[in-house]
Parts: sequence; C-alpha cells; structure tokens
Amino acid sequence: MNRWKKKKPQAVNKPNIRPALSGSGFGGRTGYYFRRALANLRQNVFVSVVTVGTISLALLILSLFMLVFVNLENAAENWSEKVQVTAYFDRELTAQEQTALRAKINAIAGVEKLNYVSRDEALKRFKSRLRGQETLLEGVRPEILPTSLEISLKRAHRDSQGVENFVASLRRIPEIGELQYGEEWVRRFNTFLNFMRMLGALLGGFLLLAVVFIVSNTIKLTIYARRDELEVMSLVGATPFFIKAPFLIEGVLQGGAGASLSLLLLVAMYEGFLHNTGGFLTFNPATAGLSFLPLEYAGGILLAGVLLGFMGSLTSLKRFINI
Amino acid sequence: MIQLHNVSLAYQNDATALSNINLRIGKGEFVFLTGASGAGKTTLLRLLYGALHPTRGQVLIDGQNISRMTSAQIPLLRRSIGVVFQDFKLLPNRTVFENVAITLEVLGWGRADIGKKVMHILKQTGMESKIGMMPQRLSGGEQQRVALARALVNDPKILLADEPTGNLDEANKNQILNIFKEANVRGTTVVVATHDRRLIDNSHKRLVSLSNGEIVEQVEKEETASSQQA
Repeated sequence: MNRWKKKKPQAVNKPNIRPALSGSGFGGRTGYYFRRALANLRQNVFVSVVTVGTISLALLILSLFMLVFVNLENAAENWSEKVQVTAYFDRELTAQEQTALRAKINAIAGVEKLNYVSRDEALKRFKSRLRGQETLLEGVRPEILPTSLEISLKRAHRDSQGVENFVASLRRIPEIGELQYGEEWVRRFNTFLNFMRMLGALLGGFLLLAVVFIVSNTIKLTIYARRDELEVMSLVGATPFFIKAPFLIEGVLQGGAGASLSLLLLVAMYEGFLHNTGGFLTFNPATAGLSFLPLEYAGGILLAGVLLGFMGSLTSLKRFINI
Repeated sequence: MIQLHNVSLAYQNDATALSNINLRIGKGEFVFLTGASGAGKTTLLRLLYGALHPTRGQVLIDGQNISRMTSAQIPLLRRSIGVVFQDFKLLPNRTVFENVAITLEVLGWGRADIGKKVMHILKQTGMESKIGMMPQRLSGGEQQRVALARALVNDPKILLADEPTGNLDEANKNQILNIFKEANVRGTTVVVATHDRRLIDNSHKRLVSLSNGEIVEQVEKEETASSQQA
C-alpha cells in the first residue's frame, strides 16, 4: 500500500502562499509604486499642497534671481561690445595700404571686425554728434581730421589682459602709430563685471543653500508626519526599497510640480510687468525690457525641482527607516 | 519554533531590560507573557520580530538565529510574523480595506487576490461591513479587529500581540481573545503580552511571568486550567 496516500494534507496555515503574482516583475512593481505614490498624494492633499507650494516659492525666488542675473550678464555683454581698439593715422590710406594692414592685423589672434574710417566718414560722424550745433563746425574741413581703423575684439579678448596683449601685438606693426583703447574704461568695466559675477555667484549660492535647506526640511517634516506608515510597512515585512519607492516617486512628482508652478509664476510675472521694466536699468536702451530666461535655464529649474524632491525624500527616509 | 537561549539585553544607558532569558515556545502554542510595566514584555516581543537584537544570547525562530540575520533578511522574517499593538497602529488616511491589504501588497499579491483574501479575513474578524471606512470612525474594539485582520491576513506562523486589549472594554476583549484562539486553532503560534489578569485566567493557556527582565514563573496550560477548576 502506498503510505503517502494515507497522509492527510495539513489543514493548518500555509504562510506566504502567493496565489497570483501580478507585478512580480520590475514593470509590475513599478506600476504599483506609481499607483501607491499617486494614492498617497491624494490621501495627503494638505501635506502635498504645502510641499509643492514651498518648492515652487523657493524656486521662484531662485529663478527671479536668475532672471535678473541673466539680464545683467546680457547687458554687460552688450556693453563689452564697446571695447574696441582704434588706430589713428594722419593721412588717408590707399586701398592697397588698407588691404596690407588688414592682413597684418587679422593675423593677430582676437580680431573680430575691422572698420576703416576715412576723413569724410569721420567728419560725417562728427557732424552727427554735434547735431543742432553745426555752426561750430563751420570752416572745418575733412583734412584736419585723422583717419582711423576701428578694431573690434572677439568676446574672449575683451578683458583687460586680452586687450593689453592685443595692443602689445598691434604695436609691433610699424605702420601703426597712435592707439586708443580706453585702458581705464576697460579696466574699470572688467573690474565691475568681475565684482558683479562674484556677487551674483555668492548671492546665488546662498539662495540655493536656502532653497535646499527649506525644501529638504519641509519634506523631512512631511515624512516625519507619516512615520507611522513607515513603521507599519516595515512591520509587515516590506523591504526598505519597497517602503521608499513610492515616497521617492512622490518627491519627484512634488518637486516637478513645484518647479513647473514656479516657472508658470515666473512667466506670469514676466508677462505681467517684468518684461517692460528693463528701462530703469538703462544698461541697454537699444533692447527695451528684460528678456526671459533661456530655455536651458528653465530646464535647469525643472531638473532642480525634481532633484530637490528626490534627494529631500531620500535623505529624510534614511533617517526614519530603521530595519 | 521560538527559542531564546540565555538572552540578555541592555540599553545604551546600561539599563538592563532582559536578563538571562531561556524560553522555548513550540509550534502552535498559545502563550501569555505577563508582568508589571517595565518587566520586559515589550522588549521580549521586539526581540522576536527583529526590532531589537540581544546584547547576549540567541533568539531562534524556526531554527534561524535572528541576531545573525542581515537587514535584508529581517523583512522576510516579518512576513511570517503578525504583530498587533495596544494603539492599533492603523494608517488614519487609508480605509479598512487598504489598511489590511498592505500586508499582501508587500508580498506582491495581485489585486484580485488581495480583494478576495482581505474580504475573507474581514469576515472572520466581523469587520466586512466596515470595509470602506476610515479607522477614526471605528470604535477601539473595531480598530483592534482591523489591526488583527492586517496581522492575520497572510496566515502568519506567529502572531505577537503587545497589550492588545489594553484600550478595550470587556466585550471587545473577549472578541479579540476569540480571534486569537481561532488563529491558534488554525496553527498560528500566538504570543500575547498583557498584564490583564482576567484575560489570562479566562484563557487557560501557558503563562510566562516576567519581573525586572527575568522570567520568574512559568505555568503550563494544564496547570492553569486545573488551578481554575480547583
């Protein structure tokens, strides 16, 4: 007789029998984590709204600062175009001489544009500057004015050192006589620019620190408020990753939503009044108003929001999950 | 099933919570741990589900030494242990169904199976009519029954309860006790820490008394029963 047939099946518990495993694969579990994260957001509306609001306000301050900084940089960029070296000649240069000189100057690194100003052109400019007081120029003939060659420099050569180096090379050309390049102005302008950039980096750094501090603490508080959930999950045998995953997704969603909201607010503020307030800066009257943040900056803010949400959740969870 | 060999536990401030505990609880047993507050009941339970590690000695569950388990193994151990507390530890912003379903979600069950199994356990604990309610709207007894459903829904090998009836009236205490007994009949080893003498006396189960972190008395099931009859 088969002894095995006599054995009765055990009528007691069969722990951890899993009848149908939906979501045992990575994709299925990911689906669960997302569903759980969205359900958590729904079930903790107030906390979610506070977190998204905090992130968006913090990032709005940062992006407003960036908007101002980017526009100041643009203004400085426009200003720096005024950095040019002018070589003066006491006679009109022939076309041949001009070509030869252009070739020599172009051989020096850093030249962006060359413009020859003849005596007639010089007089024309002079007249246009003295518009309304043309009587002063009565009897002035072009011959008394010098001709000149205006040399614009490439962006990388517009700082004090770059200009000095360029001028030194230029002086080696025998035909070049008198040179003017507003040494003092270039020096001061560059000092101001460096100061502004340093101040911007310092302020931006502090702002960023403040944003990270505020956002991470807000997230820490929201997770602290839900520490019972973490405890219960770990009591029923959830792995740390299983507990963390929905919280991290929540963090990313909240960070993304906060950053998007801050960008929307920035656009609203820009369209509302910021875009025509550039006049008071009077840095560059030619382009009236402030320009909006470039796309890569907006993308950066969005990424910063997502990262803040993720990292804030990750560091806070570490503190509260003890298995 | 559960074995403690010379287990001692001291907290960081050198206060001894348990001292030289030797205890063996067989498969399918029902044991009450009793003693005054601070006697070490909760600490002992926490050792059993891996929330604490002994300073000295060994804690074995099904022959596995918990002290040697890695942090990745502890969650697996807990999937075979149900735990209930005096304060229920239900999640206030989830329904009764969702609170119970957590245990099965962790195990990776499919949604349809979770639905069936949760409904089944809620029927057993008499809570099926409250399935969509939030815990705050339930009485203490009902909340404890939901907590028990959450602990029992995956048919654990072991059920640990820390003062499960501490906040309940007599009628509710009996209901909860009956659920423990039913789980025990189905094969679950039950360990209940309580200082409720009436609960212990009504149950005629094995009793382990703790005092100042030491086992001071052990009364076997039969003796408890016979002392009641006498």
